[in-house]
Amino acid sequence: MAISARLEIQALNQYLTKVLGEAMVKATSDSFNRLEVEVLPEQFQNAAGLIHHDTSLQASFTTMLALEDPIEPACFKIHLLFLLKKSKAWLTLSTRIKKERPVLPAISPLLPAAQWFEREIHDLFGIQWAGISLEPLVLHRDWPRGGHYPLRKDFPINQEIPIAEVSHQFHQPHAEGMHQVAVGPIHAAIIEPGHMRFCVTGEQVHHFDAQLFYTHKGIEKMAEGKEINQALTLAEHVCGLCAFSHSTAFCQAIEALGDIKAPERAVYIRTICLELERLNSHMADLSAICASGGYGLGSMQASRLREQLMQLTQHMTGHRFFRGLNAIGGLNQEIPEDHFAYMRQTLEAFQKAFKDWHAQVMGCDSFLDRIESSGYLSLDQALNLGLVGPPARGSGIERDVRVDFPYAAYTAFQPKVSLHALGDVFARTSVRIDEVYESLALILNLIQYLPKGSIYQKTELIFSPYQPAFSVVESAKGDLVHWVMLDPDNRVYRWHVRSASYMNWRGMVTATMGNNIVPDGPLVNKSFNLCYACVDR
Amino acid sequence: MIKTIHYWLKTGRSILPRESDDIKHFQFDQEQFQEMNKATRKALSRSLLIRHLDTGSCNAEEAELVALSGPAYDISRYGIEFTASPRHADVLTVTGPVTRHLKIAMERTYTAMPSPKIVIAIGDGACYGTPYERTYACLGPVDQFLPVSIYIPGDPPSPFEILSGLLMCQDILMGKTV
Repeated sequence: MAISARLEIQALNQYLTKVLGEAMVKATSDSFNRLEVEVLPEQFQNAAGLIHHDTSLQASFTTMLALEDPIEPACFKIHLLFLLKKSKAWLTLSTRIKKERPVLPAISPLLPAAQWFEREIHDLFGIQWAGISLEPLVLHRDWPRGGHYPLRKDFPINQEIPIAEVSHQFHQPHAEGMHQVAVGPIHAAIIEPGHMRFCVTGEQVHHFDAQLFYTHKGIEKMAEGKEINQALTLAEHVCGLCAFSHSTAFCQAIEALGDIKAPERAVYIRTICLELERLNSHMADLSAICASGGYGLGSMQASRLREQLMQLTQHMTGHRFFRGLNAIGGLNQEIPEDHFAYMRQTLEAFQKAFKDWHAQVMGCDSFLDRIESSGYLSLDQALNLGLVGPPARGSGIERDVRVDFPYAAYTAFQPKVSLHALGDVFARTSVRIDEVYESLALILNLIQYLPKGSIYQKTELIFSPYQPAFSVVESAKGDLVHWVMLDPDNRVYRWHVRSASYMNWRGMVTATMGNNIVPDGPLVNKSFNLCYACVDR
Repeated sequence: MIKTIHYWLKTGRSILPRESDDIKHFQFDQEQFQEMNKATRKALSRSLLIRHLDTGSCNAEEAELVALSGPAYDISRYGIEFTASPRHADVLTVTGPVTRHLKIAMERTYTAMPSPKIVIAIGDGACYGTPYERTYACLGPVDQFLPVSIYIPGDPPSPFEILSGLLMCQDILMGKTV
C-alpha cells in the first residue's frame, strides 16, 4: 500500500506543479499520504480556487488555520487543508505573510465554505482579507477593535479587555408589516447560549441571523505551552457530546507525529467507543427532533433508549462521556471481557426496541407531515457551504471520513454510508436512523473480532519540533479536525480544533431562511444537531 | 400495571444516596435562607421552579439536565420543573465557567429573578472553573459573580448527583438540617 500511495503522491505533486506553475514555492510529502504545497501569498487565492474547482482532484475543503511561523518569526503562516477523495490523500496549501503588513486576497469568493474561517483568523490574529467586508465573529462587537489579537504569541493569556458599549448589528426588517423575533442568548429550553433574530411577516421567515460564540473560552490559547497530556484533557472538554471523538482525534494526531502505534486491541476498543458515542448522540438528537416536531411519545421513548446507552457507557468505561479513557499510545484502562458480553446483550435488546420505535415514528402521519419538506437544503448549497456529517449526507453529498480516509479499525470494518438526497429534515432524520442500525452492526462485529493483548504501548515520546500533525475523525455530527504543532520541549505550540458543527452552522442558517415558518426554527436546528460548545471553544 | 407501580415506588426515593456521605461536600449559605419565613420555605420546597443558565459549559451538563427531565429520572414527580423564564424561577442552575461574552446575560438573568433566589452551581466548570483556566475570554467560576448556595461538583455530575443536590435544596427549605 505504501508504495502505491507514494506513487500517487508523486503523481499528485507533478500534477500540482504543472497546474500551479511558478506560484509554487516548495512541496513536501510524508509517509502518511500528506502533501504540503507552499505558494506565494499573492497566488494563494488562485491556488485555492484551482484546487477547489479541479474536478480531477475531487478536493473537499476541510479546515483553514493561521499560526505564527516558528521558523521565520516575522511571518504568519496560513494552512488550508483539503481532503482529496480520489487519491486518498491530504493536501495542505500554505503560504507565509509578513507580520508588518498581514493582508491576503480573500479566498471566500472562490471557496465560500472558508468564510467563517477568514473571519475567525481576522479576529484572533488580525490578518486582513482584501476584497470582502469582515464582520467580527469569534470576538463580539464589545471587543475593542485593533491591536488586541488574542492568539498572537505576544498577547498575555489572561489579559483583561474591558467590555465596550457596542452591541451587535443585526439585519433590520426593511419592508412594511415585517417584524423581528429575538431569541436568546439565554434560551427557554435547556440548551446552550446563542442569539438569533428572525425577520418575519406573520409566521413566514424571511431572514435569519445568528450571533454565536457566547461560550468562547479561548481553549486553543489555554493549551499553548502545556504538556501533551494537559492538552488532551482540554481536548476532552471541548465538547461533552463528542468528547471521545475529540480525544481520539487529538491522540491520533500526536501518535502520527511521534510515529507511535497504538496496540490493536486499543484501536478496536477506540472504534467501539466512537460508534457507541455516535449511538448516544444520534438517540439524543432523534429524541430532540421528535420533541421539536411535537411528537412527545417518540421523544420520550428515544430519550429512554438513550439513557440505556448512557448507562451502558458508564458500565463499560466508568464515565458517561468517555472521559479519561483515551491516552497517547492507547487507552488508560482495560475493559474486561465479560463487559463486552454484557454490551452485546444490551445492544441486541436495544436493537429490538429501536426497531419498534422506528416503526412507530414512521407510522405517525402528523409527525411525518411536520418533518417532510421543512428545512430544505439543496445539494449545491450544501456543497458551497462545505457541510459535513449527516446534514451533508442528507443532501446527497457522499462524505464520510470513516470510508474516505479510514483510521483506527475502520480500515478493516467499513460502514455502509447512508445517503438521502431530499435535503429536508426527513432526509437528515433518515440518515441518522440508518446510521444507528449501521453502528449497532459495526459494534457487534467489532466485539466478535476483538483482538487480545495489551491496551497501552509505552514508548519514548520523541517528536520532531514544529512539524504540523493533524487527524480527522468522523464524530456523530460530522468530521472534526485536530491540528497540533509541538515545540522542542514537547509542549503545545499551536493547537487548532475545527468541529463538525462549525461547518454545519451556516447550513442551518440557510436552511431556516428557505420558505419556513418560525416554529420550524427549532426543528431545523435539531435536525442539524448543532453544538455551541465545540463551535465556540 | 402492578409491576409498574411497584417499580415506580422502588425507584422513587430509595435508590438516591440521600443518607450517604456523597452529599456532604455540598456547601450551603445559611444566612440567605434564614431570612425567609417558614411559610415561604414550605411553599417553595415542594414546587421548585428552575431556570437553567449555561455560562460556558462543555454541553455535557446540559445533556444530563435534559436526561433529568426525561422518563428515566423524571424530576417532575418531586415537584421540580424547568421554567422558560427567569421571572418564574426560584432556583438558578448555572453550568460552566463564566465567559466574557455571557457575563452581562448572566447578571441580567439573575436580576430578573424574583427574591428569594437560590443559585446552584453544577459541574466542575461552574464550581471551580476547572479544567479550564483564566484567559482573555474565560473569567472563572460562578461564585466570583453570583452568590452560590449549593455546589454540585462533577465532570459532569451524573443525573443522580444533580437530583440529590436538588432534593437537598428542598430539604433545606423545609428546615431540615443536612
